[in-house]
Amino acid sequence: MSDVLPSISQLLFVLFGAMALGCAVAVVAQRNPLYSAISLVGVFVSLACLYLTLQAPFIAAIQVIVYAGAIMVLVVFVIMLLNVEEEVRRPLRLRYLVPVGVLLAAVLVGEAAFMLQLGNYAAYTPTMPASSDVGLTASIGTGMFTKYLLPFEVTSVLILMAMVGAITLARQGRTPLLAAPGNVTEEPAALTAGGDVLLKPGDTAATGRAFAREQIRTGDAAAPSEVSREEGER
Amino acid sequence: MDWLSNTIGADWARALAQFVGINVGFVVVLMIVAYTVLAERRVLGFIQGRLGPNRVGPGGLFQPFADLLKFIFKEEITPSASTRFVYFLAPVIAITCALMPIIVYPFGPTVWLPFVGEFSLVIARFDIALLYVLGITSVGVYGITLAGWSSNSKYSLMGSLRAASQMISYELSLGLSLVGVVLMSGTLDLYTIVEQQGGWFGLKWNLWDVSRVPQVIGFITYLISAIAETNRVPFDLPEAETELVAGFHTEYSALKFALFFMAEYVNMFTVSMLATTLFLGGWQGPFVDVFPWLGVVWFLLKVTFFLFLYIWLRGTLPRFRFDQLMSFGWKFLLPVAILNVILTATVLYFRWS
Repeated sequence: MSDVLPSISQLLFVLFGAMALGCAVAVVAQRNPLYSAISLVGVFVSLACLYLTLQAPFIAAIQVIVYAGAIMVLVVFVIMLLNVEEEVRRPLRLRYLVPVGVLLAAVLVGEAAFMLQLGNYAAYTPTMPASSDVGLTASIGTGMFTKYLLPFEVTSVLILMAMVGAITLARQGRTPLLAAPGNVTEEPAALTAGGDVLLKPGDTAATGRAFAREQIRTGDAAAPSEVSREEGER
Repeated sequence: MDWLSNTIGADWARALAQFVGINVGFVVVLMIVAYTVLAERRVLGFIQGRLGPNRVGPGGLFQPFADLLKFIFKEEITPSASTRFVYFLAPVIAITCALMPIIVYPFGPTVWLPFVGEFSLVIARFDIALLYVLGITSVGVYGITLAGWSSNSKYSLMGSLRAASQMISYELSLGLSLVGVVLMSGTLDLYTIVEQQGGWFGLKWNLWDVSRVPQVIGFITYLISAIAETNRVPFDLPEAETELVAGFHTEYSALKFALFFMAEYVNMFTVSMLATTLFLGGWQGPFVDVFPWLGVVWFLLKVTFFLFLYIWLRGTLPRFRFDQLMSFGWKFLLPVAILNVILTATVLYFRWS
């Protein structure tokens, strides 16, 4: 290795580590839910790149395909469809949350410092990731279908149960309430008056009528315009 | 190459070589894509009994450059009610995700050049090449989705919603139609997959390899879902002119529109390359053993066939209706792709045992 330039793996680690941290902070700090979702995609992609530098290419690919490519697309889709408003900064309802958060963060930092100072690393010699083939597709496939077959199948059944549960809940036949600005702040009692109609699944005309009634009632019949507020912020 | 790795280290020398390779690859692909656009206009003109663009240069050969100049000098319009950052980000995501898969495709066998020595005509070879392609393709959906959302226009939003649901649906059958080839090859590395298809005068191509399992069903499923994945006719509902003006890129102009336009054609090119690599033997062809550079010619010829097929379909077929598109994808294409996986696995199991 030359001493003129830093090693590539160090450079990549710093680059993608910084990207992951920056995007993670942005997920929490952004007030627009769509920006948070995009930042989360950034976190997933930079984590995948970190996995690649650790010689685990299969995990990296699955991370991108499943999380960034499938789950987050659905999240972005829902945010777009529901036209979620930018979060209005409200006074905190649970005031003791801030000191608790600070305390927990302090405990975490303390634990990390404790481990770094007092941990015994003499007995622990990790193998270089470059010399192992644990992360390769073939070894993961072999492991999953031989040694870890039972956990793999149990996990699949668990996920299948979650899917069946979600479909059962979705087919109850109640109209979902649109997350319009009007019905978020209102009391739930006022909403049940006209909006909560029992509908048969597949009866699209009735669903449309119920939605229209709901939107007219909340004064949301025309698409809400966010022009003025966004212009003001810019 | 040796003096280079002695001065800056082997890692950096390899990175530099790959950087050069990536740039050469991108320039070549973008030139091919520019001429695909011209070819599309000329072939469509021929199909429809007119001439097409033939004014700029001999036979219209410089038309792509004229188009590019026009795109650069057009006015950049940003809708005042758009979400500005995402509006700029969307075309960047689209073109990046379109160009990134190019690095894993083998353009040819190992060749020799003076001053450089022997090298393979593939920029990067790694264990998960095929998964990498699928992953990048699935991230590419964001470009279109965010473009429609950030434009703050009803046509754009409808177009991008259609595009997103269509691409999510057809990604499944696209991925499943490739599983048959992966089962046969036992690897995800595209270079190895191509090498396995050599010999027997093209009879070992995965499409009709009777010594393993002919992937005819897989090939047809892949072709249909690839056309849907790139939003081309007859699946071009996201930009259906009669209903949605231009779909997700209604509000885009000048170079930002050109990026979407380029992304669409680069996507066409990459899915054609994937079809060639996985089903039609990649760079394999007559006399490749004698003249390795001939492999590039065979590869590009096969890719050109698919590009021509795309243009031909655009000149011939009408557009689907959206519910037809969805039920076709979920109720026909997906079961057929799964059937192909089961068939291939079963045949391979009994061959091996």
